This record gives sequence, C-alpha cells and structure tokens, in this order.
Amino acid sequence: MGRQRSLLALILILAIAAIVVLTQLPMRLGLDLRGGSQLTLQAIPTEAVPEITPDKLESVRAVVERRINGLGVSESVVQTIGEDQLLVQLPGVSDPEQAERVLGGTAQLDFRSQRPGSESDLQAEYTARQILLAEQQQLQGNGDEAAIAQNQRALEESDRALTSYFEDSNLTGEQLRNAYAAPVSGTSWEVGLEFNDEGGRQFAELTRQVAGTGRSLGIFIDDELLSAPTVEARYAETGIAGGRASITGGFDAQRAADLALQLRSGALPVPVEIVENRTVGATLGRDSIQRSLYAGIAGLALVLIYMVIYYRLPGLIANLALVIYSLLTLAVFNLLGVTLTLPGIAGFILSIGMAVDANVLIFERTREELRAGKTLYRSVESGFYRAFSSILDSNVTTLIACGALFWLGSGLVRGFALTLALGVMVSMFTALTCSRTLMLFALSFPSLRKPNLFCPNLAPSSSPATPAS
Amino acid sequence: MKLHVIQQRQTWWLTSLTMILSGIVAMVISWQQLGAPLRPSIEFVGGTRLQLELACTRSDTCDAPIDPAAVREVLTAQGLGGSSIQVVGDNQTSLSIRTSTLDVESRTALLTALNQDVGEFDPATTQIDTVGPVIGRQLFNSGIQALLASFIGITVYLSIRFKPDFAVLALVSLFHDVLITMGAFALLGLVLGIEVDSLFIVALLTIVGFSVNDTVVIYDRIREMLKVHPDWHIDDIVDGAVNQTLTRTINTTLTTMLSLVAIFLFGGETLKYFALALIIGFIAGAYSSIFIASTMLAWWRERTGRAVLGSAEGITLDDAVLPRPEDAV
Repeated sequence: MGRQRSLLALILILAIAAIVVLTQLPMRLGLDLRGGSQLTLQAIPTEAVPEITPDKLESVRAVVERRINGLGVSESVVQTIGEDQLLVQLPGVSDPEQAERVLGGTAQLDFRSQRPGSESDLQAEYTARQILLAEQQQLQGNGDEAAIAQNQRALEESDRALTSYFEDSNLTGEQLRNAYAAPVSGTSWEVGLEFNDEGGRQFAELTRQVAGTGRSLGIFIDDELLSAPTVEARYAETGIAGGRASITGGFDAQRAADLALQLRSGALPVPVEIVENRTVGATLGRDSIQRSLYAGIAGLALVLIYMVIYYRLPGLIANLALVIYSLLTLAVFNLLGVTLTLPGIAGFILSIGMAVDANVLIFERTREELRAGKTLYRSVESGFYRAFSSILDSNVTTLIACGALFWLGSGLVRGFALTLALGVMVSMFTALTCSRTLMLFALSFPSLRKPNLFCPNLAPSSSPATPAS
Repeated sequence: MKLHVIQQRQTWWLTSLTMILSGIVAMVISWQQLGAPLRPSIEFVGGTRLQLELACTRSDTCDAPIDPAAVREVLTAQGLGGSSIQVVGDNQTSLSIRTSTLDVESRTALLTALNQDVGEFDPATTQIDTVGPVIGRQLFNSGIQALLASFIGITVYLSIRFKPDFAVLALVSLFHDVLITMGAFALLGLVLGIEVDSLFIVALLTIVGFSVNDTVVIYDRIREMLKVHPDWHIDDIVDGAVNQTLTRTINTTLTTMLSLVAIFLFGGETLKYFALALIIGFIAGAYSSIFIASTMLAWWRERTGRAVLGSAEGITLDDAVLPRPEDAV
C-alpha cells in the first residue's frame, strides 16, 4: 500500500503543478484563433544567384524582418522554413495589404549614367512608355486579358530599350544611410536619399560626369527606370556634393512611404514571391474558437455522463482521471510552447477520445473477469494487466500516424499531429497509472468494494461459462 | 446479444463493396466534371478565397441580403468573371468568393470595389486565403506522402507485433475506410459543392489511426485466444473475439461520436466538415474492424490451410477463463 500512497501523492502534485502552470503561463494561440495574417514567401533564384543557399535565405530573412519591423506590427515573427521559404506572421492584421506591397519588390536601387549619343532616343522612348503605362491602367479596368498581355509585352520591350541607353555605375542602395518620404507639392511625394561618405563621393562623381551634357542620370529600382533627371551645367566642376539626392517619380504618399521603407531595409539578394496568404479577421478567429470550444466541451460533458451511467464507479474514477489528463496535457502544451491552432484543438479533443478508449478497454476487461467469477480485486488488477497490450498497440499505431503527419505535413497539419501525439503519450500515463491508482484507492474503502458498483446485474454466483457480452 | 460475423460474411462484404463502388462511381463522375476525384479547395490547386461579412454598423445595413448578381457584376468588371460566388450566413450577409490567384493589387482593387458597390464589409471578420499553384501542389503532395508513410509504418509495426497476414488485412480494412470516406466526400462535392482541403487529409490520417485501433483491439483478442485455444477453429475464435470486444468497440465509437457530432452541429465553419469526415470514417472504421478485418482473417487462414493451429504449439495461460463461443446463449 506504500507504493499506492506515493503514487497518489505524485498524481496530486502533478495535478496541482499543472493548474499552476496553466494559470501562470498564457496559452499560445495560433493566428487562426486570435486573428492575424500569415504569409509564406518563396525566394526565387535569379541569374546572379542561381541557388538559394542557407546563407542567402538568412540574409533574405534579415531584410524581410527589417521591412516587417518598419511596418510597426507588434509580435511579428519571421522564420525560415525548408530550403527556400519564409514564414511571416502578423498577429492582429486583418488585411496584410501593406505588408504584401512592401515585401513584394527586391528594392534593388542603382544609379546609372546615360550613354553618350542616345539623348533623343531616350526622350522618345520615355514618352512612348508613359503612353503604354496609361493604356495598361485603362485596360485593367476593362478586363480584356489578351490586350493586357499584348500591352505588357510592349512595356517589357520598352523597358529593355530604356535600360540599354544607360551604363552601370557603382552607386547602389548599399551606399545609403537613410531613405524617407517627403511631400513635394499637393499629393505628389518624393523619396529623399542620404548617402554614406563613400556613396556621397560616388554621387558627386556621377553627377559631375553628366552635368551640362544634356544626358541624364538614370535612377533604377528593380531594373525599372523611375526617373531620369538631368544635372545643371553649374555642377560640371564639382558634381553635386553633400551626399543627398531625391527620387521623384509621381509617387503618392503611400508608394513613397513603402519605397522609403524598402530602401531603408536594404535590397533583397533575390526576389521573393508571396505564395501563400492566410488571413483571419480578429473577431472571426474568436468566434470560431468559441463555437468549437463550446461544442467540444458539450460533447465531452456527454461523454463523462455516459461513462458514469454505463460504467458506474469505474466510470466516475475514469472521469476524474480524464480531468487530470486534460489538465496535464494542456500544461504540457504550455510548457513546450505548443501554439494551439484550430486543427490543434481537434487533435486534443481526439486525444481525449483515445484516453476514454483506454479506460473503456480496461473496464470491459474488468467486467469480463468479474463475470468469469473472479474476486473484485483480482478482476481490477487483471483488467489493467490484460488491456495493456491492446492499449499499447493502438497508441503506438496512432503515434506512427502522427509521426508521418509531423515529418511530412505542413503547418496546420503539424499542429494537429503534435497535439494528438502529446495527448496520446500523456494518456498512456493517466490511463495506466492514474486510473489504476485511483481505482485501487477506491477499493481500500470497504463500502465501495461491491461488485455491483462495477458491473450491474452480476449473477451472485457466476460460473466461468457466463457469456462475456 | 451475439453477432455471427462469420456466418453472414457475404452480407458484410457485399455491403462494403456496394459502398466503395458507389464512392468510386462518384469519384469517376467528379473526375469527368471537375478534373479531380474530389472537389479540391484552393489549397490544392491554388487560388484566392475571400470570405467577407457585412459590417452591421448601422441598423439598416444588414437588413437586405447580399445580391449575388451585384457581386457578379463587380467581379466581371474586375476581369474575374469566372469566379465562384456564394452568399452564406444566417441572414445572407456573408460572402464567399473564390477566384484565381490574386496579387495584392488586384485583391485590394476587388475589395475596394466590393465595399463601394455591394456594401460595407467588416475587416475584423474577413478571411483571406491565397495559395499559389506551386505551394498548392506541395501541400497536396506532402499530405499524400504522410498518408502513405503512415500506412507503411503501421503495416511494419503490426507485422512485428502480430503476423504479416494480420498486418496486410488491417491495411486492407484501412483502405476500405479511406475509400468510403473519400467516396462520401466525392458525392458531397458533387451534390453540395463541399471542397476538400489539407484538413481532409488530416481527417483521413486520423481515421487511419482510429480504425487501426479498433482492428488492433480485435486482433489482440484473436491473438490471445489463439494462444489459449490453439485447437479451436479460426471461425470460432474470430466470432468469439469480435463478440467479446463488441461492447468496447461500440462504446469507444459512441463516446468519440458525442464530441464529433457536437462539433459538426455547433462548431465553427472550419471544423464542420472535418468533423463530418471523421464521423463517416470512424463509423466505417468500426464497421470494417468488426465485420471486414475479422472475417477476412478467418477466410484467409482457412484458404491457406491454417484454420486450426493444432494443440501441439499451444501456449496456455494459467488463468485462462475465456468462454467458448458455443457456450454463449
């Protein structure tokens, strides 16, 4: 009986510890439950970077993180997944529109100088492009797919032509110290640039070369010409010194702010594409968690009632064990930092089903032994002993399925596998230790030592030939 | 109550075959109509789904249900004429739109247009899902891989713990459960337009886990009885094992059903069809464990001439008290 006592004490301590953990540590809820936006970004290899190495992905992550932080979303998370993907979580964001826009471009800024002899060509091409752009906007309103595609091709052709009029310089976004949006007039905005010392020197040199020649300075972002200002003749001696410049390109306030943020955060080494966006509005998440939770609790209450009616005293004990089980499992979730998602809750509810099953197996076995004419104490003992192999095999097969889901599955699926697996492991402990200890404790009271409390309609002198069911 | 599973095995097998075949027919029809055996959600094929709810800020904004024709007009104007539109919710004030994959500009343009022309939507209850076609295939493939890996893992484990023929037949009954659930959802996809997403694959895996539980419990009893009564005919052993574990199978299935039915009826939209898949699968699983896995084992042992193990290799448990099935009333 000494061992029973210490086990009983252990269970009591564990249950109290679980309650303490649950009240002290907050439950971590997934974005689908508390609302927010989750974006998956795919890094795309380019000619310059044909392969996404872990180093490259890490630097992509750093830039993405800076851009996200620039948006001012609290508790945002950026993490790498797999070889070439990033996961961005933005709690509380109902429409990740701004984040998506800011993350969209690589923001590769570079300054180029115009090749001599292309002055008139550039002017003509630039005007033609403006017309094409205006047409494109109009076409997108109509939704004429074929015309849009044709126009898009013309635009790309024009971009290529424009790019060919310029030659590269060494001045890029890397030599920036700061970038900010500033209003010019009315609704028109510009992006102000501040170079570091090296950048300032290069900018002065670049402007000196083109000053007064009629050739212009090309400001490119992601290989697209944003503006092509000319430099006045008076700078021909020294160039524009002071390390400051600005990009004007007909920006509105939003676009200017986005671009400034992108430039401040640095250029992405490779372009990224948003391949997945899952956004749940804040109250929608709360509604679905409440409804599912209430439904789950109602279902469980029915299970508890059923257990008492059908299995009587053992049912009552099983219910106690189930409550302890739930406390322990939730505490384990909190301790391990499991983020609870909707499929995760489903996994937990199913693991309760597994825990109930273990108890059902044991009590059915106990009844069989009782009907076979064994004493109460031996029936209980052999109920636990004999049900063990069934419980072990069925739990191990469930764990195998969970393992497959966890290693091969994606985000939502993994949450489910994790909660179910943890639940099954805890239930092995509670069904075999908890229920057993509580049952033997109950048997130590003479008033509870009545076979009828375990199995109704038990014949007073049952023979070994009594049917099992 | 006593079930004679062996005697009526033709009935059980025929019932299962009918169910599976009608499911396969549904999948074939669905293949012809939709190009996939089950109606795939955007999660597997890529696309954008917007779920919007009218903001009931003023008392009059939520009175009128959303007019699908107005929504269709907005979508056509945006060049998204081929999208599917569903007006849902108790008062028809929620909107579910499924389009091709939208980038942020087109989505913002669409949302702005909808807010202007259809009504003011509440951003706090909006749900946006965009899945690129590549990642959709990735999600699908990883789901199928997980399913296959768990099949292999379970078969290997059962071969070690039991005998290879137990494992193979358990696998057959798993396929049975998966096929019936898929068939049911192919039918639901055709009739009610219900889509399958990665939660459905999770459901299939859970069904596999639970159904194998039921089968294992019965096989465990068969294994035990084979040890105690090696001289019995396999038919008697299977009948006995099924009947002795019947109450357990029914009780476990019933208690699990209580929670699932509650989630199906009252739970949030996301888990509704997940719960339904589990309900169908668990019932199929309990059925296949009781009627299919067991009878097929008896049939297989008979065919391979191992109907009676013979007493020579019998191991007796000292406190064996298992009743002979013939003694049952």
